[in-house]
Amino acid sequence: MSADLIRDEELPFGNPLGQRVRRWTRRREVRGVLMLWVVLTVLLVLFSFVPARIMGVPASPTKQAVEDTMTVFTLAASPVAALVWAVAIYSVIGWRQRGPGPPTEDGPAIRNHGLTTVLWVGLSSVLCLFLLIWGIAETQAVASSSTGPLVVNVTGQQWVWTFSYPRQGDIETDQLYLPVNQPVVFHVKSDDVVHSFWVVQMGIKVDANPGQVTQATVTPTRLGTFDVRCAELCGLLHADMETSVHVVSAQDFQSWLRSNGTGG
Amino acid sequence: MTSATVDDPNVHLEDPDLIGRRWRTGVRLLIFADASFVAALLFSYLYLRGLNTENAWLRPGQATAPIGVSWLIAAGVVLSAVAFRWALRSIEAGAESRFVAGALLALGVLVIDIVGQVLQLMNFPFGVEDSAYSSAMYTLAGANLVHLLLTAFLGVAMWNRGRLHIYSATSFWQVRLVSLWWSWVSLAAVLSAFTTSFIAGPHTGG
Amino acid sequence: MSEAVMQHGAIAPPTGGRLMRRLNLGTAVAGGLVGGYLFWLVAHHFLQTDEPNTSDQVVTLTLLGWAIGFLVGIGAFHGPWSWLMGHDQSHEDETFLAGKEQGIGRYFRFTTDHKVVGIQYLVITMFLLAVGGTLAMMIRTNLIRPDSGFLSPQTYNAVVGLHGLTMIIATIIMVTGPFGNFIVPIMIGARDMAFPRLNALSLWLLVAFVPVLFSAAFLGGIPTGWSGYAPLSDQAPPGMDAYLMAIIIFAVSSAIAGANITTTILSMRARGMTWNRTPIFVWGTMASVGLAIPAFPMFMASMVLLGVDRTVEGQFYVASGGGSPWLYANLFWLMGHPEVYVIVLPAVAAIMELTPVFARKPIFNYNAAVLAIVGIVGLSIMVWAHHMYASGWAPDLNGSFMLTTELISIPTGVLFLVLIGTIWRGRIWTTLPMMATYAVLWNFIIGGVTGIYLSDVPADYDLHGSLFVTAHFHYTLMGAGLTGAIGALAYWFPKMTGRTLNARAGFTSFWLVQIGFNVTFLGMFAAGLAGQPRRVVHYDSVFGAANLVSSVGAYVIGLGMLVLLYAVVSSWRHGATAPANPWGAKTLEWTVPNPIPLANFEVLPVVIADPYGYGEGDGPLFVPLPPSREDDEAETPDGGGRAGKHAVLAGPDAPRIVKEEES
Repeated sequence: MSADLIRDEELPFGNPLGQRVRRWTRRREVRGVLMLWVVLTVLLVLFSFVPARIMGVPASPTKQAVEDTMTVFTLAASPVAALVWAVAIYSVIGWRQRGPGPPTEDGPAIRNHGLTTVLWVGLSSVLCLFLLIWGIAETQAVASSSTGPLVVNVTGQQWVWTFSYPRQGDIETDQLYLPVNQPVVFHVKSDDVVHSFWVVQMGIKVDANPGQVTQATVTPTRLGTFDVRCAELCGLLHADMETSVHVVSAQDFQSWLRSNGTGG
Repeated sequence: MTSATVDDPNVHLEDPDLIGRRWRTGVRLLIFADASFVAALLFSYLYLRGLNTENAWLRPGQATAPIGVSWLIAAGVVLSAVAFRWALRSIEAGAESRFVAGALLALGVLVIDIVGQVLQLMNFPFGVEDSAYSSAMYTLAGANLVHLLLTAFLGVAMWNRGRLHIYSATSFWQVRLVSLWWSWVSLAAVLSAFTTSFIAGPHTGG
Repeated sequence: MSEAVMQHGAIAPPTGGRLMRRLNLGTAVAGGLVGGYLFWLVAHHFLQTDEPNTSDQVVTLTLLGWAIGFLVGIGAFHGPWSWLMGHDQSHEDETFLAGKEQGIGRYFRFTTDHKVVGIQYLVITMFLLAVGGTLAMMIRTNLIRPDSGFLSPQTYNAVVGLHGLTMIIATIIMVTGPFGNFIVPIMIGARDMAFPRLNALSLWLLVAFVPVLFSAAFLGGIPTGWSGYAPLSDQAPPGMDAYLMAIIIFAVSSAIAGANITTTILSMRARGMTWNRTPIFVWGTMASVGLAIPAFPMFMASMVLLGVDRTVEGQFYVASGGGSPWLYANLFWLMGHPEVYVIVLPAVAAIMELTPVFARKPIFNYNAAVLAIVGIVGLSIMVWAHHMYASGWAPDLNGSFMLTTELISIPTGVLFLVLIGTIWRGRIWTTLPMMATYAVLWNFIIGGVTGIYLSDVPADYDLHGSLFVTAHFHYTLMGAGLTGAIGALAYWFPKMTGRTLNARAGFTSFWLVQIGFNVTFLGMFAAGLAGQPRRVVHYDSVFGAANLVSSVGAYVIGLGMLVLLYAVVSSWRHGATAPANPWGAKTLEWTVPNPIPLANFEVLPVVIADPYGYGEGDGPLFVPLPPSREDDEAETPDGGGRAGKHAVLAGPDAPRIVKEEES
């Protein structure tokens, strides 16, 4: 047995299970791994807020929900990743054989540890369940109502996006204008190959297919100009298939409609 | 059947049953791969039929292939598989000449079936480019033809090798394998005929 | 080793083989060129030249002619034809085919010895990685600035597509090809694989496939990326015909290889090697090829349909004709998702196999490892449409696919448990293979977690089609897959080549590759999160910093891989001779001497324990029994068969085993 183990003696306090746990945590390697685990978890927790920062300021509740998901999932993964990495790092500090040759003796013949396996599988199942519930809840939350939304038809074709407003006199444009705080539903199709309609800062995407109409909904909640990009390789000028979406006040939207088409 | 050479006086063949079992596992796995391919083709037919994109699964007014022909071709393959099965039973019982006759019979029925399949391909009342249905019919028929040609090769080999007295009641595992393959090919033909019996989709028309 | 195998008996010059003696890679290439030319002549003569799809018909037929001619030239049809005619192989023929006494020439012939086939696969893998890697350098060079103009859009798209497909094929074969062929039969105590001739056939189909794949570059390239999405693939230049023919050839090769490896593992394990004494690498290999068998035919079918569309104006993917891009996407991803586990499982299984050796501990919870592999295989066929969340094909099913996809995290997590459990309190020997374990533990966590983000439907709506996805799959397929394969190579190098791999160069390569890799793809995650789509030849300047970082990292990877290439080649040629078991490992392949005899074992072992008995005393792993007639027909208790250990076809002139001069 390793000399690092506390000798099998009665500790003067606590119940037998508690004593066993305390004895276990006083082992050199357990303390080492625990310390590394805490440090790594803290670092990863701090890192968890970085993805949302990179994704930028959300222009819709949908994007906000996506950024929250990235943060929460990273937070949830932090202790797991930290544990794996803590054991790995500790192993080259505390269990490494010095010298170039093969180890002179074998390690302990631990073929299994039932409690560890059960805990591991159990906790990962709980985590999985949490992720699922989160995902389902998030999906419900971002589903906008489709009563009375603004309808925009989106057509992708090699290599431009065009938009039309069927309920506003079928105005056609290649610059997308949307009124702030109003739900909009996009009916998306393609005239040729598969494209993908991606409003980056609003966090929505749906493919543009020939022969089918697909749908995406979102409520823009920020004024400004944002990016529309094609997210499916569609041939030669796929990289050029971008345009802008302008989110303006309701009044500005009305005046834009008037100046661009037959009605408002 | 690798040549394991050991400097050993007790050299002898591997037991044929052992080799046969090993080969049977391999052939089953290859059939599994082929079944996946066939399933993909059948899925393609049914999925496009269900989608009826732009109402173009069938071109308006398009003629469709007579279902009976596909079933007839499938029946032909089944018949040849049954004939070969009889040949297998014969060699199991040691009746070599009956085996050769059975193999020849199975091959003959298969060749007639191949002619039938080619005739079907040449006489579809539509072009491959007419609609998704047309393309799928040609493709499924073509795949079946490939199956039949591969099986014909095996059939010729069985007849010829039987003629040369290669098989006997104690060593016929290759015949069992060919029979297994032959049964699969007939099943594939039946599945194909069954699937293509559903022509107009649930959303077709209108 | 006993005396029998050390005897230098009378070495007869190799007889047998008949026609096969004269056939090799050279005649195969000649045959392919002749076949391609003949088919081209016929196609050119008989087909109307003003039809839009004539060039597709001509290209497809020419490439078919190449493949058939190539196979004729290597003698692949010789066996089936002889069989048809009733002329079965003689003992001399089989011995010749096994490569006996043919020196280096046997690597260029239709050789059935699994060790030769394993080396051939290794060389092809290295070649494909080199080409794919060079294409990657071209991509990253183009992307080093927002609008570098280094590559035109058409060239860039073609490079992206060819890089992708080359690397996909390379990573599919990189573990099961070299090590599934060379190592697994010895590891299970067999003399060869179940179907040695089919083994050679699958290898030579792969060789035939390589020029077909790269011919796409000279036929206008492919505009679709490696995923070949329709209907863009319908309207693509003739390079797309090369792409679809290449995949059809590869699918046949892999189906045959899969049947071979699976049957070998099922029926040729040594006596006493029950399933719970079977090394975990064998389980991982079997799972991988078992998954490949139903998966790749789906891809093949999608390519056949594409071929129909392109050559005779079929309507499978043409909406106006009733076709649908969703048909292609479903068929492709029914292959595409299992395929990533085909890639990753053998690599991670190799890591699970070598870690006990370098921690001197049994594998932690062997049963859980097996169950995890089985669970991953089972779930992987139920998740494919998570690649299609944003396609609109079935929005109501997205939730179900999110469920199955997130469930995969549980068995995958168990694999991590097994690895850190094995490391726990071990005696860690930090060799190059063991470093691969650490790199996999780092990379696969990042790859796995980012996969979980993507499995969340709303998050995927934002991230799909961006560089975030690209970074995720590089972390799994390259960070875990390729790294695991490199670990496998470092581990089994002494057994496969008889030499020691240069440790200094190996470690230098390791750090360059791993650091470069993380820099490249962490930078790429950032670009994806910020909104850069994938597969774009130029990009908004706001992504400039991330791309610059990625490109610098890529050059470091390239340098590291060159160092690895140098290490492998120089060690193979001039490295120190390796002992038979330099790592003190317990699996059966380490019990055979270097160079390995043609028939692997002079006497087949009978296994009495699993190979993970570290710390449990030094009992024997197996006992070699003297040969006896009855043993041949005996079956193992669990039904696993035995390869006959005695020679096929006796006779007074039966060749004796001789000490191989060259492995």
